[in-house]
Amino acid sequence: MRTLLCLMVLTCSLSAADRALSFRHDVLPVLSKAGCNGGGCHGALAGKGGFRLSLNAYDPATDHYNITRELRGRRVEFNDPARSLFLIKPTAAVRHKGGKVLHEDSEDYQILLKWIKQGAPAPSDQDAKLTRLELTPGNARVKKGDTPQLKVTAHFSDGAERDVTAWAKFDSTDASVAIVNEKTGRAEIVGFGQGAITAWYSGQIAMARLISPWPHQIPNAAFAAGPKANLVDRHVLSQLRELNLKPSPAATDSEFIRRAYLDTIGVLPKPAEVRAFLADRAADKRSKLIDQLLARPEFVDYWTYRWADLFLISGKKLRPNALKAYYTWLRGEIAKNTPWDQLVRQVVNARGDSFENGATNFYAVHQEPETMAENVSQAFMSLSINCAKCHNHPLEKWTNDQYYAFANLFARVRVKGWGGDARNGDGRRTLFIAPRGDLLQPRTGKPQPPAPLDSPAITEGADRRAVLADWLTAPDNPYFTRSIANRVWANFFGQGIVDPVDDLRVSNPASNEPLLNGLAAHLVKNKYDLKALMRLILTSDTYARSSAPLPENIGDTRYHARFYPRRLMAEVLQDAITTVTQVSPKYANITLSDGSTAKTDFYKDGTRALQLFDSAVTSYFLKTFGRNEREITCECERSNKPSMVQVLHLSNGKTLNENLRADQSSVTPLVTKPNATLIEEAYLLCLARPPSAEEIQRLEAVFKATPATERRAVVEDLFWALMTSREFLFQH
Amino acid sequence: MFDFLGEQEASICGGSHLKRREFLQVGALGAVGLSLPQVLAAKEAGAVRAGHEDKACIMIFNLGAPSHVDLWDMKPEAAAEYRGPFKPIRTKTDAFEVSEILPMHAKVADKFSLVRSVHHGGAAVHDAGWQIMQTGRRFTGGVQTPHAGAVASHLLGRKSDLPPFVVLPELMGRGGGNLPNGQAGGFLGKAHDPFALNADPSKKDFKVPDLLPPDQIGAARLERRRNMREIVDGAVKSFEASEDARLLNDTFHSAFRMMTSEQARAAFDLSKEKQSVRERYGMNRFGQCCLLARRLVENGVRFVTLNSFLTVFSQLSWDIHGSKPFMSIKQMAEIIAPMYDQGYSALIEDLHERGLLDNTLVTTLAEFGRTPKMNPAGGRDHWPQCFTCSFAGGGVKGGRAVGKSDPVGGFPAERPVSPGDVVATVFHSLGLNHEATLPGPAGRPFPLVDFGAEPIKELF
Repeated sequence: MRTLLCLMVLTCSLSAADRALSFRHDVLPVLSKAGCNGGGCHGALAGKGGFRLSLNAYDPATDHYNITRELRGRRVEFNDPARSLFLIKPTAAVRHKGGKVLHEDSEDYQILLKWIKQGAPAPSDQDAKLTRLELTPGNARVKKGDTPQLKVTAHFSDGAERDVTAWAKFDSTDASVAIVNEKTGRAEIVGFGQGAITAWYSGQIAMARLISPWPHQIPNAAFAAGPKANLVDRHVLSQLRELNLKPSPAATDSEFIRRAYLDTIGVLPKPAEVRAFLADRAADKRSKLIDQLLARPEFVDYWTYRWADLFLISGKKLRPNALKAYYTWLRGEIAKNTPWDQLVRQVVNARGDSFENGATNFYAVHQEPETMAENVSQAFMSLSINCAKCHNHPLEKWTNDQYYAFANLFARVRVKGWGGDARNGDGRRTLFIAPRGDLLQPRTGKPQPPAPLDSPAITEGADRRAVLADWLTAPDNPYFTRSIANRVWANFFGQGIVDPVDDLRVSNPASNEPLLNGLAAHLVKNKYDLKALMRLILTSDTYARSSAPLPENIGDTRYHARFYPRRLMAEVLQDAITTVTQVSPKYANITLSDGSTAKTDFYKDGTRALQLFDSAVTSYFLKTFGRNEREITCECERSNKPSMVQVLHLSNGKTLNENLRADQSSVTPLVTKPNATLIEEAYLLCLARPPSAEEIQRLEAVFKATPATERRAVVEDLFWALMTSREFLFQH
Repeated sequence: MFDFLGEQEASICGGSHLKRREFLQVGALGAVGLSLPQVLAAKEAGAVRAGHEDKACIMIFNLGAPSHVDLWDMKPEAAAEYRGPFKPIRTKTDAFEVSEILPMHAKVADKFSLVRSVHHGGAAVHDAGWQIMQTGRRFTGGVQTPHAGAVASHLLGRKSDLPPFVVLPELMGRGGGNLPNGQAGGFLGKAHDPFALNADPSKKDFKVPDLLPPDQIGAARLERRRNMREIVDGAVKSFEASEDARLLNDTFHSAFRMMTSEQARAAFDLSKEKQSVRERYGMNRFGQCCLLARRLVENGVRFVTLNSFLTVFSQLSWDIHGSKPFMSIKQMAEIIAPMYDQGYSALIEDLHERGLLDNTLVTTLAEFGRTPKMNPAGGRDHWPQCFTCSFAGGGVKGGRAVGKSDPVGGFPAERPVSPGDVVATVFHSLGLNHEATLPGPAGRPFPLVDFGAEPIKELF
């Protein structure tokens, strides 16, 4: 039996080794799998121990040269292939700092040996191309404890099809659901939810989805769509059913009005608005409320601020007048509800004077073709292509050539005027398009023919950016629509369907693929009207779900069986404090990157944080609570994480303590009111709900125990308690 | 390559394979501190070596860039315009001499070692050097690498009522280059930003801002507030299922604990020190910060970064260009060096006397050195090509000189040391594996230091 097995193995490996081996598809995968060309080994930019390979084999021609020609050809020994340095190093027959990474009796070893025996043929353009990588099972329902073996099949342009499981590298996207052996592709289901396993081979990535349902007993009726369910709910419920997670019931009217105000316009509802909404008996009162919110002037403040994060509107990068022009342009488009694709076209194609056409300042913030390309990609497609600047993207399919082809689309953007020093000059510059000029691909020293990602090279016209803008905003661009749909979704749920939202790469799967596709299709159908998408989300049952967990959904953090609480973003929190206390901070300075400050007269007294043009406005509060500093295009710059400094500031700092003590504070008129009245008013102001009977009773007890001389102090303390509670600090 | 540590884990290039998700989970709790199982996870994954739980680091950052050839790497044989006005003096070690303007350094020279061949290729701009030396890397492609203290905070978490990473007396100010200064959590997130004191401990009315309630909020009112907050905060049951909400509440409880904790209050309360001890350190901002750093480490802070000065413009600093708004070599000799000499030597002696030096690395870094040749104003300008850093305690053997500069102090002559090597040395002393990886932007794994950077083994 044992002999038979050996024979079989031998037959297999012979059949693999008998054909003419390909450097590209046989030799390099062996090196990749063994980790030889990893960033820590010979794949480092400077190589290791005098031998350099391209990171994850992105440059086969140079790798072949380095293996067969460099060091005067000493690495391969055609007279005695087994004595080649290329073989005796990784087998540690001679000293190898990386240790023994290849065994003499392995198939991998035989492949390298055979390839040398065959004359170490070079890669050529005639090589069969890897057309598709397939991971099976592609979609599987699994149980906790299962250990499925995944199989990777490579399909080549010459029709060949090979099992390359042994040379693929595996990874899990959610280790709380499934883990996988990086080398063998044996997975283990360790939890519940939807996990994905990725396999990397020869520069391509394939993915398998593993669905591991929770072991709850849930009646079918729990997943029935409500009477007003829309496409969001259909996709979410279908996934909840698949994963066996019970949806939480609907949020109360108080929870809903506060939630919708904060997420749509960034302000707290006033007590009168809360009272009116709670008293309204109309069946469609929530959808009426949503329509009102979408039409409020604060909507423009909020969304201009949100998108300004994406456009990096910052006094650290722009001079004041340019900054104002950039902001004013964006604000005007938001006020008009300009469709997103048109807005993005204005930016990509921007030209002319930076004061007159504020959109050109995108190209003042990003001044080289490479950074223009990276930021267009990041902001509008949520794709980080930066890694591919130096080597093929290790987590993605983007190649170094694609990067330079894409960046070359911006090679002819030129400006006259201000040079870019954020501390000096007037900031005025005129953008124009030069008739010629190319960006060189440093690896070849030649221009890479300009091309959008995954597209053929463009035919030269007037402005290469126009071709790019058409490609970018085309409904069939797989990234553009999904990117903005996902960003809008994340505003309302605190996390993207693809999360983080700046990372839409293939190997970062959506938590609910049909949902994201559904939202994207809705956007296309509604001609990129973002308000229409917001209305769809806001009117869904999913958005209106309570944040209170059920035993049957407490483990859920990604599938929206309930609403997830999150800390208010810095600016919204600052404005909420202003709304409650009636004391507004002054915004008189900006802080530059070097710590120096400059005066600004853009902001009148009473300006709210969400009305600021600029993330560089000096504010201890906003900085401490993690505003997006707009240094790089990344939502990750914003932090809603609680920290010690924040808590100390709320507890002991001036913002709450001094605001509450001020004469104009909301505390003042309430001091003379009866206890029950003032407690109710304070609750409505801060939490958009009346207090419960128990809360009134317990708080009144505190009031009664307080001497009359401390009347004002105890009212201040009530507000302090409300405003440091999680119910105030959090969206829920 | 790692044999002096006797560790097997480093034999494979690429280092430890702590999974990104594990790191993310670890990172999420940085502000309040890790739970024990998470620290253990980091340990098991090879990022943290066992047996180093009590290690701490005080990083004195010599803002302005001291003149190595006038202080620690003197060149008495060089021509007058190179060697400058000061003479070297003998020290307690045969390995090196120091400048006559650092007489108290000479007396503790058996406890610290010098590395005289540090260099970097970054711009000769203050802020560039700040970020390079404190994080081990120059920021490129918009990626802000974390301060060494933020890495310690991320991997080790907090140990007591006090935060794991503190900056004294405040974050660095202007450097003139309009660049991030590296005193932040960087890609590890704001949860790992340092807790900055933002106050001058030598001031009579010194207190930590926001640490204690305002005067009108006495103990009774504080208790009332806490009581009312409990009543109000209990209403929404959903929060216990939210990690951030738990984090906020944990932070609130730790803040209350810190505000009311005798240990935390005491750690920041310099009046608890005898006047003679305070005077031994020097009654100035730098001296009192050194004293405070010792108190913080004693009370469980893992990493203190002490900015010896705050900016190079129109204030005291090591930036001796010889013309305004910068310092002169005379100001250095008469004001800056004596103050520094006193504070530093007191810190080293005091840590030693209290038995804390073995577990506390004290390193002195700077953004660069200064031009070997004096300028026409009688000062010296910026020089990243060669300069001196020092290390004491935390397993470092004192009284050694590592590396050599050329005859004028212009370039390393032997054993060049990179900023990555310096930061790797700090990590090594703290028990962190410098080849482990951190979760970078977009999931790109970042090793603690760049490949090729290694701890300076001659120090241990």
